[in-house]
Amino acid sequence: MTSAALSTLMLASACGGDDGDDTNTGSAEPGEVSGSVTMWTYPVIADETEHRTFWDDTVEAFGEEYPNVDVTVEIFPWADRDQALSTAIAGNSAPDVVYLIPDQLPGYARNLEPLDDYLSDEAKADYVPNALEAATIDGQLMGAPILASAVTLSCNKAVFDDVGQSEYPETWDDLREMAPTFKDAGYYMFAYSGHVDQTLNLTFYPLLWQAGGDVFNEDGTEVTFNSEAGVEALTFLQEMVEGGYVPEDLLTGNPPIEQTKLAQGKVACQWHSEGKHLTDFWGEENIVVLPPLTNTEQVAYGTVGSLSMLASAEDKDAAGAWISFVTDAERAAEYDEASGFLPVKESTGSLYEGDPLLGEAEKYVDLTTVGPLHQSAREVMGVLAPEIQAVLIGEKEPQQALDDAAAAAQSVLR
Amino acid sequence: MVSVDTLPRTRRGVRGARWREARIALLFVLPCLLLFLAFRFGPAVAGSVLAFTDYTIGADTNWVGMENLRRLSEDPLFWRALRTTLTIAVLAVPLSILSSLGMALLVRRAFRGSKLFRSIFFLPVITSLVLAGIVFTWIFSESGPWSSVMGWFGLPDQSWLSDTTLVIPAIVVVAVWSRFGFGMLILLARLQDIPRELEEAALADGAGAWHRFRYIILPELYPALFFLGIIETTFTFQIFDTVYVMTGGGPANSSYVLVYQLYDQAFRYFDFGYASAIGLALFVMTFIVAMIQRMTLGRER
Repeated sequence: MTSAALSTLMLASACGGDDGDDTNTGSAEPGEVSGSVTMWTYPVIADETEHRTFWDDTVEAFGEEYPNVDVTVEIFPWADRDQALSTAIAGNSAPDVVYLIPDQLPGYARNLEPLDDYLSDEAKADYVPNALEAATIDGQLMGAPILASAVTLSCNKAVFDDVGQSEYPETWDDLREMAPTFKDAGYYMFAYSGHVDQTLNLTFYPLLWQAGGDVFNEDGTEVTFNSEAGVEALTFLQEMVEGGYVPEDLLTGNPPIEQTKLAQGKVACQWHSEGKHLTDFWGEENIVVLPPLTNTEQVAYGTVGSLSMLASAEDKDAAGAWISFVTDAERAAEYDEASGFLPVKESTGSLYEGDPLLGEAEKYVDLTTVGPLHQSAREVMGVLAPEIQAVLIGEKEPQQALDDAAAAAQSVLR
Repeated sequence: MVSVDTLPRTRRGVRGARWREARIALLFVLPCLLLFLAFRFGPAVAGSVLAFTDYTIGADTNWVGMENLRRLSEDPLFWRALRTTLTIAVLAVPLSILSSLGMALLVRRAFRGSKLFRSIFFLPVITSLVLAGIVFTWIFSESGPWSSVMGWFGLPDQSWLSDTTLVIPAIVVVAVWSRFGFGMLILLARLQDIPRELEEAALADGAGAWHRFRYIILPELYPALFFLGIIETTFTFQIFDTVYVMTGGGPANSSYVLVYQLYDQAFRYFDFGYASAIGLALFVMTFIVAMIQRMTLGRER
């Protein structure tokens, strides 16, 4: 069983690639590489035409260097992408390269080709450690990171102005203290997105981490979210919900965003999406991107998007060359800037200096984590999310709910 | 004069003609039959076999025997999902059939605009459940019309979708809304077949509306009602789209149905073996219910 993913992650070394080393393309001549590569990606750049153009240009540039490789980039919607990908893998029609985030990696690890041999040593050394760690499973690099995000706290300046509050919250205690004033002025202190489709990485886990807890123990054999820290986190949430400081519309449901109190400007702060996503609703001038909240720790979720090669890829050298080409520091930086994501290479430096939204987010990348890279991470979320809902709608107490979820989680740990 | 041996020969001739007809008929249904075997029956059998393996993408598949079914029997979430599914079925099937019957009787006779009404009533059936789910999510939301109407009657005016008990009736309402048009169509077709003379004779004998319905119309409708009972039960057991869109199985798993669990296991956790076991359980359950319906409703006929 691969439950030791977490512990071995720490031991990540570059000695991966256990197969015969005749496929190392790091040194192969571009002219010698041939074949065709299909890549699946998703609307990382929200504007479809812009996104399409980016890839068309990149494919063209790649073609000049690798004239014998034929690349097709297909852009699919975010929704149900796992369903599409798993079905394609099962039906032997999987792409050769696919965009994945760390949350997805453990589930597909068996189907992926380690990339250690396909990226040059310089390219690997240039990655920020966080990013490299996020794509490493059992000591092997399962994806080449291309972008990152930092989902810290963001608050609505218009709400703070209206309440007459000039300080922004930094800790849980700040939220507790400010909440009644905001409530009296007709606002909610923060939004909590508790629908089961929402990943806990963006909702409850940040609180758990801030309280000093974690989802799994070191070697991934047990869940630990029902620790004292977990209870503290859930109790804090419960207290805020029961006080009427958190809007009910997002607690268990997932209405279209424009119908939510959050989008309607009735909520002061939130941490389940990047500030930039709220520009259409709050107005760019009202979005204040803040550091991650602190309780005993200061930490937030941040993703790392990477390109992975499927083990079923026929022309692995070609696919490897393509991944290496696209994730090259300069090209990746271009992609990051076009999509509003953060860079993952040391050599890129700052991309958004002075930008009120992304420039702020960029500062806190070091304070982010990609969440548990455990093979059962999603199943654990599947049993934990409904229990959290039960607390938020007043059906259970935090300790009870977390213990129940832990018992259920223990039986799905593989 | 008819000779002694012409009779059997004629019979043989008839039988031969019948056989020829049957062969031609078979030829006509053959494409459909093949498609059915390839895309319905085949996958169903394959799915049942998968239930006894640990199949997942990209790994070796092992025969695990009854392991998945044992796990299922010990899975509290499965029993909860089963209970929720049955509750929805118990509420939705009779309601859906009753509404179908009511609507069919209303638009049965031709009157000005009857065709328009028939079309309107049928619309929900061809409406995408995902779209309908999104609209109904708004209708049932905290500030939506349903909550306001409930408020006028002094009933709880919170969002039905965020209450562990009320979420079930909310889903039942959508299920009935999306299905009654189909039932109406089936019953309407049957109603048109009932000879008008029967009712006229009853009318002449002084039978009231209720008696005409009870003793003339209803008995004629039994086969159609039986058919609807099975179709609607099967459909309700497989309810997924509305739950997926409206509640995600929540709050706190209170609307988590069997097909949702199947979906989660297969496409979120990639545990296709276990998902197939849930599918198998669903099939057995549907089969048993159909048999019970056949024995009770069928006998009345």
